[in-house]
Amino acid sequence: MKQYFREWSVAVSLVVLLLALAALAPEFFKPNQLIAILTTAAPVLIAACGMSLVITCRHIDISIGSQFALCSILAGLAAGAEWPMAAVAGVAILSGATFGAFNGVMVAGLGLPSIVVTLATMVTWRELLRWWREGAFVRDLPRDFQWFGLTQAAGQALLLATAATVFLLVVFAMKHLSGGRFVYAVGSDAEAARLAGIRPRLVTFCVFVLMGTFTGLAALLNAIRFPDVDPKTGQGLELQVIAAAVVGGVAISGGRGKLWGVLAGVLLLSCIAPALVFLKAPPQWEKAIQGSIILLAVAADGWRSAKEGSRT
Amino acid sequence: MSRLHTVARRASEGIVRAINVARRFELYRSEPLLAIVLLVEVLIFSRTGANFATTGNAFEILRLSTEIGLLALVMTPIILTGGIDLSVGSLLGLCAILFGKLWRDAELSPWIAATCTLAIGAAGGGLNALLITRLRLPPLIVTLGSFSLFRGLAEAITRGVDNFTGFPESFLFLGEGAQVPIFAAVAVGVWLMVHRTTFGRAFRAIGFSPEGARYAGIPVERRLTLAYVFAGAVAALAALIYVARVGQAKADAGTGYELLAITAVVLGGASIFGGTGTVHGTLLGVVVLAVLKVGLTLSDQPSELAGILTGALLLVVLSGEAVARLFSERLGRAKIARP
Repeated sequence: MKQYFREWSVAVSLVVLLLALAALAPEFFKPNQLIAILTTAAPVLIAACGMSLVITCRHIDISIGSQFALCSILAGLAAGAEWPMAAVAGVAILSGATFGAFNGVMVAGLGLPSIVVTLATMVTWRELLRWWREGAFVRDLPRDFQWFGLTQAAGQALLLATAATVFLLVVFAMKHLSGGRFVYAVGSDAEAARLAGIRPRLVTFCVFVLMGTFTGLAALLNAIRFPDVDPKTGQGLELQVIAAAVVGGVAISGGRGKLWGVLAGVLLLSCIAPALVFLKAPPQWEKAIQGSIILLAVAADGWRSAKEGSRT
Repeated sequence: MSRLHTVARRASEGIVRAINVARRFELYRSEPLLAIVLLVEVLIFSRTGANFATTGNAFEILRLSTEIGLLALVMTPIILTGGIDLSVGSLLGLCAILFGKLWRDAELSPWIAATCTLAIGAAGGGLNALLITRLRLPPLIVTLGSFSLFRGLAEAITRGVDNFTGFPESFLFLGEGAQVPIFAAVAVGVWLMVHRTTFGRAFRAIGFSPEGARYAGIPVERRLTLAYVFAGAVAALAALIYVARVGQAKADAGTGYELLAITAVVLGGASIFGGTGTVHGTLLGVVVLAVLKVGLTLSDQPSELAGILTGALLLVVLSGEAVARLFSERLGRAKIARP
């Protein structure tokens, strides 16, 4: 309990929010409404899985919003060229992996600070997309693009199942596979990990490639919810995802973090906007509340560790 | 085969020699590299851009880059301490609309409203400083939170639609050229603080090692507080200049400015891990970015190209040193291994 203070406190906050909604606005719990919230949150969750790996490895990636937009557009164009859906998915995921590999080469290969590298790639990819597409939507997509050509209900179910599978796989890998433990080891102390026979730079590179892959998958799952693809999609996604991971207890100093906490963080942050609507509060408060949650969550941690520090 | 081998060896030795020459003259330091980039930019744009090489345009470039320049200037001490402040752009937005609110709805005179705005900015920086120093939280996360909080408050106060216009002429002159001397004054002030006072040395020392700085008798918490509060106050000043230049205050003022400011500081040679960096490097970075933007516009190039080139420039400048190091390490090792 004490060790997982943050994870529990986020889960409790989520439950409190849901109870408050149950008391004040029971119409929030209509199945349609809940599924809409979950399908919006699912792509964010997948990106947050990747971000948790990156942050656990003591790096950060602020370029995923731009990667997300590029992957969405590329997937849309592939679908528009009548490619089969499997190939479209491949395009989104592989292009994501390529962008991730580029960051990985810069960070792991050349040893550059990840925040600066991804700041540069964030600006470059976003402006490259604007230059190339000039803000044009990808329209007139074939019918089997939206919801994979299934009915909306089946499409939503498939989307949620994919997100859940990816999440559980990452949870399993981080706990039981040596690769997952390597990420924790490198994030805790890269030099100690190297002496223990782990190759920190290889691990870092793989983490960035995974981040890109997850971003591509998230972009695909986000794009199929709509009949056409918006080139401005994913703006600010990086901060939303980092916020979810941090609120969920992933330590920015590396080496610590549980995926379950991240799940609670994603759900908590994605419930705020609809909750404001149902509580008839002005929706413009969403960002301010998100910011307060981030500050409160880290302040609670800091306060606790300061108290413990003075006790010992 | 062996001839090919000789050619390859000659070539690699040539590369190593070139790298060593570049190192001796410190060409890998950012300032000389940036000065060269600036020179190239000016040469190219004075050919392609109509009216580029005029004094009027030079003044215009300074006028347009004042806000980002101010943010980059105060970001420099923060990055020197090994911190970062993502919230300055949002704080600029919040200060802009609070200034509008104070002037229009509380009916204060523009100058009293401006003074209050500066105090609000300092308080915003103070919130960051409090969380960073008292609770020992990482600046990246604290300012990520206040980034959302400040922008969110700005959106909530204006409900996303309200904006403030019709400021008196006596205030608007702040954005019509009067900001350039203010910018120059702040630049000189920050340069003196960072390079000629013990404060500046304290920032570097904290960036190298906070624990070491503490043992050396530096009041680490007070110096960090100074850096973040100063950044908040100057973000408010930038907000006033922004409002005066654009003529209106909206909740989205200054979106993305924090990233441009950080880009300028890093281009200017500051290490994001703290400890090294100069104010004149930052100023060069600001000018290089501003000239790139204005020059491309005057040369009828799409504005996106400026963003692409900014990102590429950042990557090239950063990886230049890293690639050179890798090259000379690899080749140095190969030389020893050769019988």
